[in-house]
Amino acid sequence: MTPLARPRAALPALPRLHPRPRNVELALLLLTAAALTVGGASLGATERWLAAQSAGETPASFGFAPPDPRGLAVYLAALLAVHVAFVLAGRRTDQILLPTVGMLGGIGLLLMQRLPQDLVTQSLGAMVLGLGQLQLLWLAISLGVIAILALAVRSDRWLRAYKYTWAAAGITLLAMTFLLGSDVNGARLTLSIGPLSGQPSELLKVILVVFLAAYLSENRALLAVETTRLGPLRLPPVPYLAPMVAMWAIALGVVVVQRDLGAALLFFAVFLSLLFVATGRVSYVAGGLALFLAGSFVLYHLFPYVQGRVDNWLDPFRDPLGQGFQTVQALYAFARGGLVGVGLGAGLPTISGNLPVPAVHTDYPLAALGEELGLMGLLAILGLYLVVVERGLRIAAAARDDFRALLAAGLSLVIGVQALIIAAGNLKLIPLTGITLPLISYGGSSLLANAIAVGLLLALSDEGESPASPGATGGRTRTPRRGRRGLPPRETT
Amino acid sequence: MDGFVLALWVLRLGFLALLYAFLAVVARVLVRDLRAAARGPAELGRLVVIESPQGEPAVGATIPLSAVTTLGRGLANSVVVDDPFASAEHAVLTYRGRSWYVEDRGSTNGTLVNGATVGAPAPMGFGDELQVGGVRFRLDRGRP
Repeated sequence: MTPLARPRAALPALPRLHPRPRNVELALLLLTAAALTVGGASLGATERWLAAQSAGETPASFGFAPPDPRGLAVYLAALLAVHVAFVLAGRRTDQILLPTVGMLGGIGLLLMQRLPQDLVTQSLGAMVLGLGQLQLLWLAISLGVIAILALAVRSDRWLRAYKYTWAAAGITLLAMTFLLGSDVNGARLTLSIGPLSGQPSELLKVILVVFLAAYLSENRALLAVETTRLGPLRLPPVPYLAPMVAMWAIALGVVVVQRDLGAALLFFAVFLSLLFVATGRVSYVAGGLALFLAGSFVLYHLFPYVQGRVDNWLDPFRDPLGQGFQTVQALYAFARGGLVGVGLGAGLPTISGNLPVPAVHTDYPLAALGEELGLMGLLAILGLYLVVVERGLRIAAAARDDFRALLAAGLSLVIGVQALIIAAGNLKLIPLTGITLPLISYGGSSLLANAIAVGLLLALSDEGESPASPGATGGRTRTPRRGRRGLPPRETT
Repeated sequence: MDGFVLALWVLRLGFLALLYAFLAVVARVLVRDLRAAARGPAELGRLVVIESPQGEPAVGATIPLSAVTTLGRGLANSVVVDDPFASAEHAVLTYRGRSWYVEDRGSTNGTLVNGATVGAPAPMGFGDELQVGGVRFRLDRGRP
């Protein structure tokens, strides 16, 4: 061996990089950064102005720095880092999801920086992190999860092949929460193992989508035929329907026992939508909705908890200072917002030191945003969720097989439906069920679960290179990169 | 003071405007993406008829090509060439990798590319002329 060759051999084999520019993503990220900077400036200036006013001072100028410029900069830098990683890796993943998710997360970050920081505190060694810093930490971790999943997941076998393992893991998580979890607000949702604590039902929604996608893609032909007759109903063969309904019933049952109605509603909606996507039968959806109405009726009469929620929805003003307090305050907040809102930082005056809406950072972020950004801001935020759903369905339409299609549709619908349920609950269109507003609400479990969904969506959006077309090869040519690792590049001539 | 209030208003509305600008850009990209998807996959290529003594196919007609396109007098061909000098199964055009190839299927009068008879499968570039019987085609790029 020559001495010259030695240092080369000692280096680890670096993967060959094929950078691929992502101009659409970059442009959208720059717009995101501009919007969040302007939002932060408006928030900081308003806060200083209001503080000075309440102190009786009238300084000449207040400056327009965001309340936590470093936090915002860290977040934008993290977004840019994920973009650079995507460019360097050169995968053909979707370019719209990251900026959209980044915008939603950034709005959430601004909101958390704006709320009283002592709403949630956690001491990390000597440091005490407030609400905004914790949210920033979780957002950074979530962006990392998105990047890792989007870059590393090339095969879907590990999801598809172990569907019953995933289902069992999900059920185990829920059962552990039920047995070992701690109660918060009368619902047992939080599981703590050592220093870690989280809400498994958030993770369970992703697991449920994976299981349903795998099961439905394998059996969709059998589910589409109607051989079993049950009175006027015609159903698919029972053996193929049973595992799916069992999985759904177990998830739903445990969730109802845990009194997590929001998650139950979400699971049911996702179950029905995926069943519809897989079989294309309206009758299944109609049957499911009928089952849902019957179940709601029974639950209403069985559980006083459910009764309280429904009564509260029908007439929150009956008890405006007790049961209906949150709902009424949220309605007032939306009303104060008007068309363009009172401005970031100017809403939600604290009433004798207390927040008017206690769960504003988890269940009611939309009320705060509706007050400060108004109807226009709310519509824009709902539009961002719509974009996420559109991308998911578009990825599903372009997917190369049923499993990937169902998974993509399910992952985006789970985000969209969750946003819809909590938004409708906040606006008193349906009874409020306590779930988070995806990607905006405070909470590590919620952010991580949604990050996993977004990361998987990005990974699914890379279908490898489509067969070269003569029009597209006019510029540069490149050896085709296959979607799956292990397959050698195809001969091109 | 009034300047400050005015600037604050500009910032507040600016944030909303930027949110909608973001959505507008996204909507433009999405519409373009959906239009491209609705058009279907890009054409691999097309044949343009430049001379046709019998008028079938008509001169000037453009025929989009699939990856395997057969030409001949027989009605089972993808492109039916109604010409007395064309054989029932005359020639086949195939798209392999990144270029077109033409192969004669044992026709009586042969297949010509740019005036030269084709024996073994021969590559064909865009703009090349293909003659089957008395009918002459030009191979063109497809719509992207």
